[in-house]
Amino acid sequence: MKKFEHLNAKSFSEAGKAIRSYRNARPSAGGTDLVGTMRAGILENNPDAIINLKTIPDSAYIRDEGNAVAIGALTTLDDIDRSELIRKDAKAVGEAARSVASSLIRNAATIGGNICQDVRCWYYRYPDEIGGRLTCLRKGGDLCYAIQGRNQFHSACGGMKSGTHRCTAHCPASTDISAYMQEIRNGNWDAAARIIMQANPMPSLTSRVCPHNCQNVCNQNEYGDSVSIHSVERALGDYIMKNSDRFYVSPEKETGKKVAIIGGGPSGLAAAYNLRKVGHSVTVYEKMPEAGGVLMYGIPEYRLPKHYVRSLVKAIEGMGVEFKLETEVGKDIDLKTIKADSDALLLNTGAWKQPILGLEGEELTVFGLNFLVEVKAFMNRQIDKNVLVVGGGNVAMDVALTAMRLGAHNVTLACLEQRHEMPAIPEEINRALEEGLVMHNGWGLGKVVTDDKGKVIGLDAKRCTSVFDEKGRFNPVYDEEDRHFFPAESIILATGQKVDIDYLGEQFKEKIASARGLVEVDETKATREPGVYAGGDLASGPALAIEAIRDGVIAARSISRELGVKIDRKYKGPRFFKPDVEEIENRVGRTELDTPVAERTLEKEDTVTLSMAEAEKEARRCMSCGCYAVNASDLSPVLVALDAEIRTTDRVIEAETFFSELDASDVLSVGELITEIYVPKMKDYRTGYMKLRWRETIDFAVTSLAYAIKEDEGVIKDARLVAGGVAPIPLRLCEVESFIEGKLMTPELAEEAAELAVATYGHPLKESGYKLQTMKSQLVKALAG
Amino acid sequence: MSRNLNLTINGKMYEFTVGDRLGQIPENETLVDTLRDRLGLTGTKRSCGQGACGCCTVIIDGKAVASCLTLTVECEGKKITTIEGLADPVTGELDPIQKAFNEHNAFQCGFCTPGIIMSTKALLDANPNPTEEELKEALSGNYCRCISHYQVIEAVKSII
Ligand SMILES: Cc1cc2nc3c(=O)[nH]c(=O)nc-3n(C[C@H](O)[C@H](O)[C@H](O)COP(=O)(O)OP(=O)(O)OC[C@H]3O[C@@H](n4cnc5c(N)ncnc54)[C@H](O)[C@@H]3O)c2cc1C
Ligand code: SF4
Ligand code: SF4
Ligand code: FES
Ligand code: FES
Repeated sequence: MKKFEHLNAKSFSEAGKAIRSYRNARPSAGGTDLVGTMRAGILENNPDAIINLKTIPDSAYIRDEGNAVAIGALTTLDDIDRSELIRKDAKAVGEAARSVASSLIRNAATIGGNICQDVRCWYYRYPDEIGGRLTCLRKGGDLCYAIQGRNQFHSACGGMKSGTHRCTAHCPASTDISAYMQEIRNGNWDAAARIIMQANPMPSLTSRVCPHNCQNVCNQNEYGDSVSIHSVERALGDYIMKNSDRFYVSPEKETGKKVAIIGGGPSGLAAAYNLRKVGHSVTVYEKMPEAGGVLMYGIPEYRLPKHYVRSLVKAIEGMGVEFKLETEVGKDIDLKTIKADSDALLLNTGAWKQPILGLEGEELTVFGLNFLVEVKAFMNRQIDKNVLVVGGGNVAMDVALTAMRLGAHNVTLACLEQRHEMPAIPEEINRALEEGLVMHNGWGLGKVVTDDKGKVIGLDAKRCTSVFDEKGRFNPVYDEEDRHFFPAESIILATGQKVDIDYLGEQFKEKIASARGLVEVDETKATREPGVYAGGDLASGPALAIEAIRDGVIAARSISRELGVKIDRKYKGPRFFKPDVEEIENRVGRTELDTPVAERTLEKEDTVTLSMAEAEKEARRCMSCGCYAVNASDLSPVLVALDAEIRTTDRVIEAETFFSELDASDVLSVGELITEIYVPKMKDYRTGYMKLRWRETIDFAVTSLAYAIKEDEGVIKDARLVAGGVAPIPLRLCEVESFIEGKLMTPELAEEAAELAVATYGHPLKESGYKLQTMKSQLVKALAG
Repeated sequence: MSRNLNLTINGKMYEFTVGDRLGQIPENETLVDTLRDRLGLTGTKRSCGQGACGCCTVIIDGKAVASCLTLTVECEGKKITTIEGLADPVTGELDPIQKAFNEHNAFQCGFCTPGIIMSTKALLDANPNPTEEELKEALSGNYCRCISHYQVIEAVKSII
């Protein structure tokens, strides 16, 4: 056991104060759980102090309070078991206490500690001294070992979220991926749409262009292919656009507030959608003839057909957003005028400017982004035979592929990064290589070489020995001696874009610019100028579309809050995760059908969206990474069934609320201590606790059932039924309760009610299905009396 | 100044201080370790370390508990009895429970036996005439690899 400091508390308030003064102090009651976990070293974060609560006077008692029995938090389970008062007025509590472990444990274990005990999953509890502790999802790791491991003692009614899913954590917009996956596999596409659109109102576009970091870290990678998240997202995105009239609806009422958005790229559109949704009047100023920004002009048609961008813009326009196209702020209209006319202003003008690299002959090169814009405008362009593309990102890949498809004979790409360091999406790199790109990694710009007539004949490059420093910052190191000549008639530089803030005007620019020449914003996307917000590349420098979208969403929330209207995330996703236990073991992902290399063109999208049926299948491969361990406390279902209160140093918490989270620490704040459990007597109720376990003693419940039933001549007047051992929290069977209420209890009805419980709540893992049978028989027994 | 820690073990007073220096009791020491490694009272056995086997059972203020899950620093002022404390300190005569175990061969390897005897002792001190149900319940936290349980029940029944 690791060392810690120790204090015998004299009062709860002293204990709370002491706990707050340490980094990771823990209260100890009987110590039967706490000492065991510390001894086995199962937790990474060992307590640095233990505060003993047993020394607090008058903290262990069982008192008659008229309509209720009050139990001090430090009362041992043995004392509860032996109490006459409990036997008479809170019988089920006594039955549960008596069912815990063995008398050895009950002699020390307290009721307060029992309801705060840590989870008993065998992966979680794997002892450190045998090959090292397992850092599973619930401990802050990535993966739940039980979902695809041994799980006969785990949940039979689904898992619950524990922390942030890996996929969600790696999505810049924090999309709740597993939530929409679950809705999709159940065929609830509208619900899925509502979930995704809270984070990202344009999944039809992002699914086509995003490097999908979510997928790179998906836990299914441990076993086989990742869940093809972007493919499901794309099917969902296309579904949303097909039904855009349902998902992009005009607000019911106007707020009368005016917001101006400068720049109609992904960030501006995301903000416009969110602001308009709640009723603000929104005007988007866009320099180009069409809105969409990089998605419209930068990304080639074969990767993102423009009709998708146009339908999105149209849908947003349909909500009542006004687009002022071909209106360049700073030239056609100045910012002051717009600002004076609006309640809030959002700047999202992106990064479009060519950076000056200072390379000899730079003026003879072509700027990658311009190249793409031109191709987009004319769908053709004179292209030289031998083209050299410089850069390792997605723009470079788009340029290279476009050049090849325009008919260049040889397209070569040179970039600083080694293959694995390249920021481009791996699929895009593969696509380019497939189509004949020759790639040279580890070369930096030397100078442009011309013939005597001044015509470009190639690039003199120098060896780049490393791109990033130890801290991972971009800081290339060159070997000036090691040179290579790349012959080419045209050189396209896709080595980055710059932010242009000149349009802001001198005075304004000075007010809101950052030292890096961007617009400086805080976490709410507010600039230093009141009422002015900024996001996307303009504030962050060149980044991903989804990052710009996130900024737009955040800015919209902040602006709307300032204007007095809250934008909230209404759709929370399902409470219990219900993975498809067969399909999660399918190692092969489904992704879009690709066009054969020979048939790929500039005009037609390369890939075909999964059908909805296929997407539903792929969504079944999502494991719904959550925790599938069951709540181990025998007292917990009883306290919920008896509608008890958990009284703490700070407040009174209903048992049902207290046990609605995985851990007591998710409910209690640091230093908040349980002082008393207050159990209503439930006089007219028949109450009890049933527990099934393998051995008569020591074992935790396989399944258990706490009940409080009020009957009148056989007719159920009221019932509270709570199942233990079947879910991550004590599971109140509300559907069953309302089903039986008002009915005459018969063996048939009991049977029916139990069936209903299984049908409504049951969702076993591979090995935990038998628990539904035992839950059922306990229910039948309890109901039939 | 170091905190004092006073324990009464098998009727003897022990005065310790809490801390990391040699001879002091560190905060993270469990009672089973104090008894065995510090005081040489090795009759109390260390086995699962998780409260599941009962081999480490001692009696604290009349209650049988698992000493592997008990922090020694939390025993301030407590009366602790271990298997070594059962025999008469003057004559060395065994406790009736111990005698009964001997007479009934209520053990095989004997590793679990001190724990079982301590659980029995706590039970009989509080309830000299337990029913067989109560007896089984009281001993349910004590495991025996050698299946001596049947003889144990007979031994205890012979003295109640
Ligand atoms: C072998 C074995 C078998 C078991 N079998 C069962 C079983 O069948 N059913 C069952 O329900 N349980 C079982 N348990 C768990 C046992 O019930 C718990 O260990 C015990 O109830 C915890 O109580 P404690 O007072 O010892 O808590 P401690 O171990 O002292 O504390 C447990 C947790 O609660 C916190 N805590 C304690 N008191 C408070 C308070 N007042 N306010 C806020 N936080 C507090 C602690 O910081 C700690 O995190 C078993 C345990 C063992 C060792
Ligand atoms: S069920 Fe929960 S505790 Fe067990 S391995 Fe999975 S995440 Fe961890
Ligand atoms: S399996 Fe599902 S929840 Fe888990 S990381 Fe992958 S997509 Fe996310
Ligand atoms: S060693 Fe203490 S109960 Fe097993
Ligand atoms: S006699 Fe050997 S373990 Fe019980």
